[in-house]
This record gives sequence, C-alpha cells and structure tokens, in this order.
Amino acid sequence: MAEKVVLDQAAMQRALTRITYEILERNKGGQDLILVGVKTRGEFLAQRIANRLEQLEQVQIPVMAIDITNYRDDRLHEEDNFGLNPDETVNIIDQKIVLVDDVLYTGRTTRAALDALIQIGRPQAISLAVLVDRGHRELPIRADFVGKNIPTAQTEKIRVLVEEVDGRDAVEITN
Amino acid sequence: MTRHLILEDGTVFAGEGFGSPATTFGEIIFDTAMVGYQETITNPIYDGQMIVFAMPVVGADGIHAEAYESIAPKVRGVIVHDLAEVSTNRQRRMNLDRFLKQHNVPGICQVDTRQLIRHLRETGPQKATIVDVVDDHAFDQLNATVLTNKQVQNTATPKAYANPGHGFHIIVIDFGLKHGILRILGEYDANVTVLPYSTTVDEVLTLDPDGIILSTGPGNPEDLPESVLTLIRVLQTKAPLLGVGLGHELFALANGASLQALPAEYHGMNHPIQEIISQQIFYARQGRGYVVDWHSLNANKLFATHRDLVDDSIQGLRHRDFPAFSVQFFPDGAPGPLEASVIITDFFETVADYVQESN
Amino acid sequence: MYKNPTKTNAKKILLIGGGETDFGLQGETDVAIYQVIPLLKKMGYQPYVLDDNPYALSLESTVAETVIAPLTVTAVQSLIQKEGIEAVLPVFGGRRAVRLWGQVLSDWQDERNGFQPETLGLPVQTVQDVRDGRALMERLALAELPILEAEAASSSAEANQFLRDYGLPLVIRAHHPKVGNTQRIVDRLDDFDQAIEQVRAQSLTNDVLISRAINGMKEVSLLVARDQRGNTLQIGASEDMDPIGIHSSDSLSVAPVLTVADRVLEEMRSQAFLAAEVLGVQGFLHVQFAFDEKTDALYIIKVAPYLDLVASRLALVTGYPAMLVGVQLALGLPITAVTLPQSYHQKLAMMEPVMDHIAVKLPIFSFGDLAAAGVTVNRQLGSIQKSVGSALGFGRTFIEALEKAIRAAHFNNRSFSPEFMDRLTDDELIQQLIHPQDNRVLLLIEALRRGYEVDELSELTDIDEFYFYQLQRLIAIQQKIEAAPGNQQMLQIGKESGLSDGLIARFWQRDFQTIRAQGQLADILPTYKALEPTAGEFPEHAHQYYATFESENESSQLGQQSVLIVGAGAFRMGDGAAAGYVLTVALAELRRLNYQTIVLNNSAADASLLPHLSDKQYLEPLETSDVMAVVDQEAPQAILVPGNRRKLIDALQKLGQTVFVLPKEKHQPDGPDSNQSEFNLSFFYDGQRTYPLALTQHRQGELRLLKNTIPADFLADLQPQQPGFYQIIWRRPVFAWQKQVPMPDLSTDAWLRPMPYGHLAYLSKVLGLPLVRYLIRALVGQLSPADQEQLLAAQTMPQKPLAMVAGRSDFALHLQPDQVIDATRFEMGPRLVAFEQED
Repeated sequence: MAEKVVLDQAAMQRALTRITYEILERNKGGQDLILVGVKTRGEFLAQRIANRLEQLEQVQIPVMAIDITNYRDDRLHEEDNFGLNPDETVNIIDQKIVLVDDVLYTGRTTRAALDALIQIGRPQAISLAVLVDRGHRELPIRADFVGKNIPTAQTEKIRVLVEEVDGRDAVEITN
Repeated sequence: MTRHLILEDGTVFAGEGFGSPATTFGEIIFDTAMVGYQETITNPIYDGQMIVFAMPVVGADGIHAEAYESIAPKVRGVIVHDLAEVSTNRQRRMNLDRFLKQHNVPGICQVDTRQLIRHLRETGPQKATIVDVVDDHAFDQLNATVLTNKQVQNTATPKAYANPGHGFHIIVIDFGLKHGILRILGEYDANVTVLPYSTTVDEVLTLDPDGIILSTGPGNPEDLPESVLTLIRVLQTKAPLLGVGLGHELFALANGASLQALPAEYHGMNHPIQEIISQQIFYARQGRGYVVDWHSLNANKLFATHRDLVDDSIQGLRHRDFPAFSVQFFPDGAPGPLEASVIITDFFETVADYVQESN
Repeated sequence: MYKNPTKTNAKKILLIGGGETDFGLQGETDVAIYQVIPLLKKMGYQPYVLDDNPYALSLESTVAETVIAPLTVTAVQSLIQKEGIEAVLPVFGGRRAVRLWGQVLSDWQDERNGFQPETLGLPVQTVQDVRDGRALMERLALAELPILEAEAASSSAEANQFLRDYGLPLVIRAHHPKVGNTQRIVDRLDDFDQAIEQVRAQSLTNDVLISRAINGMKEVSLLVARDQRGNTLQIGASEDMDPIGIHSSDSLSVAPVLTVADRVLEEMRSQAFLAAEVLGVQGFLHVQFAFDEKTDALYIIKVAPYLDLVASRLALVTGYPAMLVGVQLALGLPITAVTLPQSYHQKLAMMEPVMDHIAVKLPIFSFGDLAAAGVTVNRQLGSIQKSVGSALGFGRTFIEALEKAIRAAHFNNRSFSPEFMDRLTDDELIQQLIHPQDNRVLLLIEALRRGYEVDELSELTDIDEFYFYQLQRLIAIQQKIEAAPGNQQMLQIGKESGLSDGLIARFWQRDFQTIRAQGQLADILPTYKALEPTAGEFPEHAHQYYATFESENESSQLGQQSVLIVGAGAFRMGDGAAAGYVLTVALAELRRLNYQTIVLNNSAADASLLPHLSDKQYLEPLETSDVMAVVDQEAPQAILVPGNRRKLIDALQKLGQTVFVLPKEKHQPDGPDSNQSEFNLSFFYDGQRTYPLALTQHRQGELRLLKNTIPADFLADLQPQQPGFYQIIWRRPVFAWQKQVPMPDLSTDAWLRPMPYGHLAYLSKVLGLPLVRYLIRALVGQLSPADQEQLLAAQTMPQKPLAMVAGRSDFALHLQPDQVIDATRFEMGPRLVAFEQED
C-alpha cells in the first residue's frame, strides 16, 4: 500500500487559514456564526477554524460536533438524536452555520448532517467547508469553502490525519 | 580618489570613491541585510535613494546575470565600508565597481558605515550628496536640491507588455516592478500582462484577468494620482487581488486607511513577521519608509493579517468582502528568505478558486 | 563547594556533559552548560550536571547538583534512579552526550529502570538516529533533501563492487563510528584497501559507508534554531576558504558568508529549515552544505542537532545568545516567549542576527610543539582533522580580520618576512598548493608573491578568487609599508589592516615602543566597535567589543575599579587545555570581590568570554600592542596575566602597570618517561607563607593522589617570587602506584616549578577547594584567616579517590606520528576516573 502525502502539515495549515479567510469574507465579522464539525476529524478542523477566527477577530465562535456514523441514508436508522448531545447543542435558530468536514466525496455524509441540523432548528443558512474535495458526488451537494481539490480515482483512499487524533497533520492518498 | 559624503544635517564622512565619479544627490537610507547587494542596488524601490550597507564587505560575489531586479539600477549612491574587488571571469562577468561606472552610479567606500548607520537610526532618512570637495558650494547645492517625488514615473513601465505563460492570466499593475515578482509568477507558469499604473478599469477588464497584482515600487504612495485608488477600488471587486510593498500601501489607501512615515526606514530581512491567524512567524525581505496606521483601519473594510513583531507594524491586510489582500514585505525574496513565498502560493490558490467558481 | 543533592520540588533536569576535550572538542559543551544552568535554576528547574572532565567549570557550579562520574550508561541510569531525574537534556553535551543518551534509552526497561525521563530538545527517534549518522541522512533523503548517497559495505568484496561502480575519488567513513569524524577521501587506487581497513576499525559494527567524493566544492555551514511550534530562524552562516577535502576544522572559515549568491544561500536556508523540521529539533541545528558553483549542485553533507564548535562559534561571532535561547526552546517555549537578560533588546531572540563585522577563524596546529619534542607528524591536511584548536580575528574587512586571526593564532611574526618562504623550491610550492599543509595562508601569499596568476591558483586550489584578491591586497599593503619606514599614512594603513605594532616595528626595524609612540602621537588609535547582532539598527547595551581603525569609538572606560584579565587565547594541546578553566575561575572571583572585570580573549570555546561572567569583553589578539591598546582605553587598576606570557608581563611592568601573574611555565610542562614516575608535591604560596596541599604520583597518562602527609615545616624555607601554586617535583624509576613515598632532598634531586594548570584543576576537584579563588584573594590582599585555615587543613580533608587519566585521543588517526606521543604532555584532554583505594 503506497502512501502519498498530498498535503503536508504546512499546506494543511495554509488551507485552513484560507478557508477561515473565506468564511469571514462571506460572514461579516463572524456574527451569528456557528461551526459544526462532523466527527471525528471535522470536529478538530472546526475547532481550529474557530481558533483562527478568534486570533483575527477576538470573538469566540461556538463549535458543535455532530456524529452521523449511524445516520447515513445508506444505513439503517436506529436512533433519532443524530449524534447531537443535547447538553452541547446551541440554539441554532436563525444562526449561520458552517458545517465542517475533512473530506467531501459522495455527499451522503453531508446530507445526513444537514438532516440532523434541520431537525433541531431552522438556521438562517448552512454552508459547507471541507479540507479536501475528492470528487465523485452522488448527490447535488457542493462545498462553499474548499481547502484543496484533489481529483482521485474511486479505488483510491484519502486519509486526513490531524495532530489531535493521529499525532500529525497530513492528507495522504493510498491505493 | 578621496571623496566625501555630506548629509543634510552637516555630518561629513570621508572615503574613497568608486563607481561613477559624478556628484550625486539623494535620500540616504541604510540596509542591514547581509546578502544580495546586487538585487538591492537594482531594486527600483530605491529610485532616488542612496544606500548604506551595514554588511562591511560588499561585492565579493561580483555581478551575476540572474541577480538583476531591474535592467538598470535607479539608486543614486552606494555607500560601503570595504569594496571587494573581484575580476571578471566565467561565473562573474562583472564587478560592482565597473557595474556602477557603467550605470553612472557613484559609490563611496572606506566609510565608517557603522557610525553612519548609528547616526541615521536617530535622524531618519535625509538628503545627502557625494562630492569631491567639501566646501560651501557643496552644502549650498545639497540644501538647494529638491528631491523628486516622481519616482514611480521614473521606474514604472509607460507601456503594457506581456510575459506569456500557459497558466492563469495575471495582470500586474506596475509601480516600479522588481524582477522577483515576474520570476515567481514564472514559476507558476502564469500568463502575465504588465500594465502601466495609468491604466484604466476597462483596459484591465478587457484582458479578462484571473488575478491582479499591485506591484512594489518606490516613493510615497500619496504622491500618486487619486485615479490609482479608484482603479484599485473597482479591481478588487472583480478578481483576486494581491498588493505588494507600495501596492500594499495603495491597497490600504484605496480602502480608507492612512499611512505613517517611519522615523527611520527599515531595510532588512531579520524582523520576525507574524501571521496573526496562526501565530506562526517567518522572515522576509522588507524595504519600507511608510506603514499603514493601525488606528486608521476601517473595520468594515480591512483587517490585519500580518504584523512585524519588532516594531508592531502592519505587514499584511485583507479585505473583508473580497478575495483581496496585500503584504508590506516582499514575498519574492530576491534578496531574502523564500519562506514568504507562501503568499504567492495562497494567491494562486485563491485565483484557482475564483476561476473554478466563475466557470 | 560541592553541594549534596537536596530535596526539592523543582523539576529535575539532567544535563549530560561532553566529557574530555579531544580533536574537535574544545570544551564548548562545558561552556554552554555552565552558561545555561543558572537560567534553568531561575526558571524553577533543578539542574543536574554529569561529567568527568577535570577542567569542567559546570562541575563547580553552585546552582546545579554536580556529579563527577564516567559518561557511561550505568552512571546515567543510576543517577536518574537515585535522584529521580524527570527530564534529560543531552544536546548541550554535544554528540557524545546525545549518543550516550541514545544508548541509555535503548537499554531502558521500565520494570528495571523505572519511569523513563522525558528527552528535551530532540525527539527520541532523532536521538537514536544521531548514533548512526546514516539514519539521520536517510530521514533527510525521505524529505527529498539533497544528500550524497552512501552505501554500506561490511566486506572488502562489497567495497570493491562500489569502487567498480563509481570509480575514484570516494569518501569512506565509519558506519556507527566509535569516535568523531573518521572519514577518509581516497583518490589513489593504492590507498583503497588500507583506507577501508582503517575506517572499518573505527566502526562499532565493522562496516564502512562509501560515497562519491565531492572534493573541491565550497563548504558552507548554517546554524538555525527551531521551536516546538515550528517557528524557525537562521542564527548565522559561515563559509570555509578551503574547499571540501580539507576538514572544516582545519579550514580558514569566514562569517558572514561572502562569496555565495543570495539565491543559493536562500536555498540552503530553506533546506536547513526543512531539516530542522524533519528531525523535530527544539533548539539549534547545524547544517553543513557542499556547493559547486559551476554546476549549482548543492548537498547537505552533515547535520548536527546538538551543540558543536560551529554552533558555539557562530553564537559568539554574531553576538546572538544562542545557548540561552536554545535551552528555552528545548524546554518547549515558543521563540516569541523566550526571555533574555535585560542587556539585550527585548525582541532580540526573535530577530535573526546580522553582522556588520567580519570574523575569521584560523585553525591551530600543534606540529611545532610536537617537533620541539622530537615527534614528526604528517602535516598534510585532508579529510581527517589535524588542528587542535582555533583562534578568531574580528575586523571590518576580511584582511583586518585575517591578520588579527593570524596574530591570535600566534603565528610567528617572522613567518611574514619574505625570506621565510623563500626556501621553498617552486616544485615544493606547487606540491604544497595541491597537498596543503598547516601553513596554508602563508603559502598562498608566497605563491602570489612569486607571480602566480589568481585564476590558475584558484583552479589549482579550488579556493574562491575573492580570497586571492584579498591576499594580493595584503601583499601590496605590506610592501608599501616596508618601503616607507616611519611614514604616518603607512602606519595608519597598516593598523587598519590589522597589523600589530610589533609587526610594523619588524618591517621598519624599530622597536615596538617607537611604533606605539608614533601611533599615539599621530592619533592613530583603535576605535572599538560593539559586537552586537543588529548591525546598529537599535541602541545597544553592548559588552563585547573588537578593535578597528575608523572614526567612531563606541567603548568608553568602564570605571576606576577595573581589572583586565588577559585570556589564554586559543585551545592548545597539553596544559593549555586547562587555561580556560583557571582564568574563568579567576575572573569569577574578581567579580565576586566587586572588581569591574574586563576580559581580553579570542577563542569561541572559552568560558571567560561568557557575557554574564564579566562586565566587558574585548575580542582581540593577545599581543602586547592589543593588550596595551585596551589598557590605554580602560586604565585598569591591575592586569591579570598567565605566567607564561613573559614578554607581555615585562612590557606591561616596564610601562608601570600593576600586573598580577598567574604562575605558569613558559613551555608545556615535561612529564615522566615511560619507565618512571614523577612525584609532585603541590603547595600554595600566598606571598608570605607556604601551604602544602597534596602529593601526587604521575605516570605517563595518569595522575593519582598519594597518602603522604607533608610535614608542615618541610617547605618552610621556600619563597617563590610571587604568590601562586607551585610544585616540587622529582622522578624515581618506579612504576607501580605507591601509597607513600619518602620526601626528596630538596637540595639535590628535586626542582620547583609553577603548578601546571591541569594539576590545579584536578586538585581543585579532588580536594574540593576553590584553589584559584584563594590565589586571587591573595593577589588582591583579601585572603582571609578562614581561607588560610582551610588551606592549612587541605591535607586532612577527605579526598575524592579520583585519578586524572589522559584522554583517549587517537593520535595515530589524526596525526600519524613517527613515535608514540606522550599523552600527558600532549594531552588533548583528560578524564577523572575513580581508582580503587588500596587500603
């Protein structure tokens, strides 16, 4: 299994920086903004974006995590809380939500996350930020903020590693 | 031959002339970088200025074809402690002395440059002259000299020209462009069109740019016509835009910020520059007489992205509404560290996003 | 003086020392450790130091817990367990300490050794890789950094295959080397087999690494620093005048880099930054490059993620407090949070140092000393280090810095008279140009004098033409001076070019005083410039100065109460190795006694130049004219001079200066023959009375304490000329270690000499007495009754059962002498080793 690093730590940091700038560009000063990270790695990416926003604007942006492992439309539904911990949920009504995920592929994960969010309230808007867009969409979903477009073959795997879980930052392709 | 450097405040230094034997006038500034004297001397931002090098031995590496930052130096004088005489050979086709002679630039060496720099750091830049004889006439001449404020006209291209490539179409608005920017755009195989700064919005947009760069340049940006600011205000809404050096200062002015003249200019590459968003630091070649005033930033338009951690000056700005940003330092190095070239990478990523979205 | 470990809650950090000095190890590790331990203490840590170097200052530190023990895995393990060490900082002990720590980590078993301490400064993997230089290089190669590919060969057959594949020249070096740099460059087929065998013997695993030779390329060193967050900066860079093929330590080096273009230097910088990231360095990293100007080829040929001589030199010549910064980075602080003493600009740690001066390093060879002892060695320079130390020259031009380095290295003035090199035939000259020897610079000058063209010399030597133009300038200047005796303008030019009054006096056939007087009369006086890392950008609070001849003098008199300490200069073989120790302790004591202290010295690895130990430092040669110039500037109350500087002492006294002499023999102290022992009765003389200290037995290569009690009245009649430490020595044809020896008959078979500095350092450690401090107190009339009591009780104090054993220097490898070199007389550095007490 050959692994190829497509984004090293520095490039990954820069991609997150750029996403942050673009989020700011489209959400004046980060007002009414909530970041929702798709577990596991999306949550850490969302936290990093929030940290960056704080450095720039001295504002704390709420960060939530959403676990949709069991809620993909291609799996059987077992529970209905969409992985959102009620203690942690912030009122999302009329807020501007940026959903953060590590990789955008078929779009099914994003769709499940959107379902989950809409269940708990009606946000003003939802946009999508992903570190990597690898193509091969199966649903009409498009990211608003993309760190890096990486065209891939369906047989390849993309792995996003984050320091918090994996001990280092990198995006790797394996086949 | 013994020559003299006279400052406007009356300070006189004796030294040995080299380069052109002409009498020269200019604004004297100092540079603390230890490398890249050829790049510095040929950088158009030094139009009308005389440079004192802190590096005590200058010229040891001769003059290289690949180290020009413009076709001919615009600097008015070169002041060094020890001029290294090297002959011409296969690698080094010319030495500094001959180069300056050919371009009619006077130099003076064997000056106590450390004393001069310690003096200039207190007084700030001032008028100066290199003459053969120190007499009343020399002082009168110096006092009567009015330094030009038309440096951009002197250095920028009067006509558009292309530097073709196969990649993104980048428009460079020339305020006194240094070669480093073209070189680094070449690394991205950009298809470059350089336009004079008197160009109009229509002329730019007709060329359908993927991205726009406001180049580096000499002098005080406030000496440029208001039309330049109007041009920037429109262009920043049309395509990704990057301002560098003078281009950064103009980008700030166009968006309502104001500038401060530095008490002593900074020319060097050893100050840490912090990227505010990540708190990481890096180093870059800087050459600046002006900085953007923190208090003048219109929070609805601009925010700071980089700062110099030594003097806390703004080193980078970004527009709140458009993919438009700018840096005070030189991301192309030449001379200077290559770390800052990530700014150019970011610019091309932004251009790529913009192109993808507009398709 | 040696405190017992005390209970404390502070985090306990062990600094592993660098051990004995040797080729390439001039004590810089001890200097660095001595500098950083007060800072560690101030930051709330409890530092421990482990070392076995008798000349180590850090072993006498009052802020650290100090342990004298051999640098072995067992010693480190037991110290960690006994003291509950929580973290280990090996990088300041240099390569030896990092490798030792790697060995400890590999052998570590939690169930046996307990909790494994944290490693500071480097990831554990990098520590392990330092033990195998190839592993480090392979990690760089994985990051696509350009390294020279090397193949390992464990048999002659494999080596021969490589020879057939690649052809000569080849570089052969030891895989898992036992000692430092062992590489050999082979360019003749006849040498191949012998080189393989020789280098294999240097390998722990009997393997060699073979790669293509890159002789003739330019050698450039960069020192970078990196913090935990990945912020990286460049501290400095230097280039070697001599090309690759001559060991970097044996080359003339220049900082800053003068002859390499910006675009190439920036590429080196980027690569060094990446290397620091790949190796996970938290602290500093020295990266050595080879660059071919004709093809633009660039290789990383060495990485040192630990303190080495280049790192300590670049720190000194830039004025950047690299050690104070490095230790804070190793503790995990980001560079933006590093704090420095108030004497530095608040943001200095983050600013890349810039230089507005030139520093030239010249290697120092001991061939002359050896020749005087009848030992002939191979003087030809190559890829194996032959120099034993180095001296620095500072100036505002290359010529000035070079001349001052030559003078600091104590080249003989005569070497510069044209007759000196005249004796060489043209054939010999060409031979030596191609196969350089220790007199490299003089030879190049002679070649120019004989009319060789710059481009042919450059072609022949692979030395950049710039240097030949500079040497031509120097020749022209000297010729003009010689042609115009007494000419004032020529005197000015000579002084600007770094020539001493003594040398100009020789040119003009006058005496030194005449030249000095002429200079003073004509106002041709040195202007001292601050050595500081911002090139004048900021107001400086400088303490370090060097002389030049320009218009502004930045140095002003320190005060009325100052003492000037004339340093020992460059590290040398033999007794010189301990001189740094002795002078530094002297300096510290003067400071403690509230004197304002001024130091004059020029060795990067010398503790006396540490900024916190004195009020002011002059980085200058140590010739009489340099010393006198500083005396004129500072008007010190007294001048402290090592006793071997007879001429200087005479000159200073003639000029009416108060001179404190630290007694020392002019030449290297003799030692016993191989079949005999020398006995040394050491005593202190405070100017009025003598204090017997100890009796030692000295066999070639080893010194031990004896149990004798010296009768109090035995020395009563002795009255040396001045206060100091002295020895009565005598020799006997016995070889076995003695318990006691009969006292000699002072009138017939014994003689008196100043105590060698090495013995002084040794006795200070084993007796646990601050001997050098007593001498200083005696010199300034402040030896207290309590001190006198201590000295009188010296013989009855518990003695540490430690022998001083000559180091393990591989003279055969480095110098190829024609006979065995007496390791005591020409020691590169001894160790303290416990010996079994036989009662």
